[in-house]
Amino acid sequence: MTSLVSARNVCKFYGDVRAVDDVSFDIEKGKITGLIGPNGAGKTTLLKAVLGLTDCQGSLSVLGLDPFRQRKELMQNICFIADVAVLPRWIRVTQLLDFIEAVHPHFSRSHAEELLAKTKIKSNSKVRELSKGMVTQFHLCIITAIDAKLLVLDEPTLGLDIIFRKEFYSNLLNDYFNGERTILITTHQVEEIENLLTDVMFINEGKIVLDASMEDLPERYVELLASGENAESARRLNPIYEREVFGKKVLMFEGISRDRLQGMGEVRTPGVADLFVAKVKGAAA
Amino acid sequence: MIQSQIALIRRELWEHRAIYVTPLVIALLVSLMSVTGEVAVSGFDHAVDIGILGATNLGENERSAAITVLMISLSSTFMFAMWILTVFYALDALYAERKDRSILFWRSIPLTDFETVFSKLLTALLVIPLITFAVIALTHLVVLLITSVWLGARGANAWHLIWTAAPFIDNWTATLVFLLALQLWLSPFVAWFLFVSAFTKRSPLLIASLPIAILPMLERIIFETSVFAEAFFVRSVKMPLFRGLDNLELLFQEGEHFKMAGDESLSLLSVLDLGRFIGSPGLWLGLVVCGLFTTAAIYVRRYRDDS
Repeated sequence: MTSLVSARNVCKFYGDVRAVDDVSFDIEKGKITGLIGPNGAGKTTLLKAVLGLTDCQGSLSVLGLDPFRQRKELMQNICFIADVAVLPRWIRVTQLLDFIEAVHPHFSRSHAEELLAKTKIKSNSKVRELSKGMVTQFHLCIITAIDAKLLVLDEPTLGLDIIFRKEFYSNLLNDYFNGERTILITTHQVEEIENLLTDVMFINEGKIVLDASMEDLPERYVELLASGENAESARRLNPIYEREVFGKKVLMFEGISRDRLQGMGEVRTPGVADLFVAKVKGAAA
Repeated sequence: MIQSQIALIRRELWEHRAIYVTPLVIALLVSLMSVTGEVAVSGFDHAVDIGILGATNLGENERSAAITVLMISLSSTFMFAMWILTVFYALDALYAERKDRSILFWRSIPLTDFETVFSKLLTALLVIPLITFAVIALTHLVVLLITSVWLGARGANAWHLIWTAAPFIDNWTATLVFLLALQLWLSPFVAWFLFVSAFTKRSPLLIASLPIAILPMLERIIFETSVFAEAFFVRSVKMPLFRGLDNLELLFQEGEHFKMAGDESLSLLSVLDLGRFIGSPGLWLGLVVCGLFTTAAIYVRRYRDDS
């Protein structure tokens, strides 16, 4: 497999605050990786480092380039959406297409116009006249029309209603992702992207606390729904996290075979959101 | 590089429509004023007819000089507006993109910070004067056309009075040279404003003006010298573009420099001394300061991290 992003011991400090603390990971071609973390965990800082928007310590290579020093070359093959409000509000749809066509070597205007024709966005509208959802749609049309190797999405659906959010991810999969392209995405709404992801990384207090393939999660993590004595026996197997649901205990285990838990209660694979809470809160406990 | 600069400059014109709307509005007002002025003057029938007769009998050089004075007076409003436009444009150029957070989008495009900041400097130093010049030339033509119609309506020969005498090429070349030279001469201020617009979090006009107002005062109080006052105020208006005198002296001349013999022609172009301007250490020092502040603006845009 080819690594598009390779980070080794990456650090970023703001004064005494370690926003990103000795982080190492690889993102391979054709993957959709979710970078998930609580507020202030260092997600955006890490993405900024990957995009060459901020300098960092350690070794970081994106598409074989140094992102901070070779940002122009990098941006020819990377697209990103930072959040919903970043398109300039004064510009017209057609002007933005003109501009990107003139400066981006990998932009296909005809493709962008085809995608826009499927939406309600008018070509002579100004961005300020579009709703939040339409701005995001427009932005996605633009980046879909760019033949980029890596797409970075930082909370792309923040502030959108459920219909636009669903539509965004549906378009992302249908129009953008083709198995050759790679996506790195952060969001708070973990449940919405869980089914898209091929890989997941959890970041907390600047450190990567989980870096795994979605396929590996059922083997590595298991959740047991138990009560009474069963819960007590399961607790002796050192769960990484425990919570209570409708009077029953839900215990999460790492590296424990499902066979060992059989007979103690309902055994299932944890959702990414629950796993995230377990990893973050478990680490804090 | 050239293609991306053209695209970036077009982008500046889309964002900052005042760059061409302001001179066009002034052009419209000036043209309307020339109509209303001529209508108002028409009330003084006898005096106007005598005036036109007198002008008809003037030699070509004097008619040419009279039209040159008219053209200069028309241009002066645009020049004043151009500098105000330049100040506000430069102060907004790198500030607006941070204010509306579109900077993250612009930085997702494969362009360097140098290319972006350079396009803004180029817009201020080259595009604004070129657009101002085009509108000045257009206004000259419109006002002279209106005047010709008015003269024609009064039975005078406008072709003889205006069009054979107006030294368009001479005046327009001199105007263009003056506008471009003015922007170069004041380029350290433009770059300072760009730099402020790149770093300030609020009130760029205030932040940019404060050092210009306070430094000369502090220097005077502490060191009893006036280097900053000279650099900011005296130097900025003393552009050595004119033959034998700077533009400040030109402004306060009593007229003796322009006393003409009856048949002497007045050429604006001949008043300019480009060699003196280009050879002036003040120009080159200013360009160095401009380069330093522009580099600082690029550096701030590149390294600034608002996360």
